[in-house]
Amino acid sequence: MKTDDLIRALAADTLRPRPVMTTLMQGLIPSLAIALAVVWFAFGFRADLATALVTPVSAIRGVLTVVLGLVSMRIALLLARPEGRDTARLWPLAVVGAAALGMLAWAYVTTPAEARQMATVGKTITVCLVAIPMLSILPVASVLYALRQGATTAPARAGFVAGLAGSGLSAAIYALHCTEDSPLFYVTWYGLAIMGVTLASTLIGSRVLRW
Amino acid sequence: MAEQTEAWGQLLIAANAGDARAYARFLQTVSPVLRGVVRARGAGLGEAACEDVLQEVLLAIHLKRHTWQPDAPVRPWLYAITRYKVVDAFRARGRKVDLPIEDFAEVLAADAGPDPTEAADMAKVIGMLDGRSAEIVRKIGLEGASVAETGQALTMSDGAVRVALHRAFKTLAILRERHVK
Repeated sequence: MKTDDLIRALAADTLRPRPVMTTLMQGLIPSLAIALAVVWFAFGFRADLATALVTPVSAIRGVLTVVLGLVSMRIALLLARPEGRDTARLWPLAVVGAAALGMLAWAYVTTPAEARQMATVGKTITVCLVAIPMLSILPVASVLYALRQGATTAPARAGFVAGLAGSGLSAAIYALHCTEDSPLFYVTWYGLAIMGVTLASTLIGSRVLRW
Repeated sequence: MAEQTEAWGQLLIAANAGDARAYARFLQTVSPVLRGVVRARGAGLGEAACEDVLQEVLLAIHLKRHTWQPDAPVRPWLYAITRYKVVDAFRARGRKVDLPIEDFAEVLAADAGPDPTEAADMAKVIGMLDGRSAEIVRKIGLEGASVAETGQALTMSDGAVRVALHRAFKTLAILRERHVK
């Protein structure tokens, strides 16, 4: 086939794919709604939710995870564009990470030595490490799906931020149930759960985001 | 260069608003530039193989045209797609060494080479489409039929032809990925 003939055929195709942003929202919003419903009905919101939301040390957990999720989503949308590989910057993620580590260090210093271990281990490690990855499955999948409709030229990096976006937002939803308010607990275990999901998403992304 | 890029941007904005003629013009305008990029990268591969790669790039641009933002410059977007596809295509072709007959043209005879814009891979994968889709792509591409004429010839509505054509290109990209490499 001649290139001019191909161009003629291509130009006749006037159906335009949806913008990646639209695809992302159409998948992510229902996914997060499902995660919220699961936390609400299966786990139950914490009894003192209203108080927790205005208690700084507890509320910061929500802020950190939501900011991580939104910043990652923004980077994912940049990486969905072919030139995003050169224009998307990952350093805002390091800022969020540093803030979390800062909380961890602050809690370490302010928690009495004999109480540190109890604060770190808490009572719900297993639930936390199972629930956050489970709740992340649909949101991460919906971000990956949206990125597939895009044109990323950095598949692994796009999978990485997709994992952070989905698991960060899912962790924020899980936090509505979780009563472990010490940063020693949540930075450590939420962090571990998010890193696990992100590792998996990076590996999946490096395969499924090629085109 | 800046003027040229601006013209590309205007054509692409019009194209994305549904102006098929502006879109054809856009693809025709960028093709020689992209062909130059492909040939510079793929020296030794032969003109026909380079044309195959160029067509792959054009198909990718077509399928990913919604990822261009009107406020972003066209050139980095276009080159990023081209670079990605060219690297991909040459890596795939690098596995089996492809020495086209044109390389020996000067030695064997001074025959006029094949039409430089004729490429084989696309025809091959179009042949793998289902019969009706292949016919739609050929009618519009090779015979220059309009969507309406194609619909009449195949007793399909215009809308059905458009949807079939759109799907055909998506399928072509998948088939190329699977079979050309």
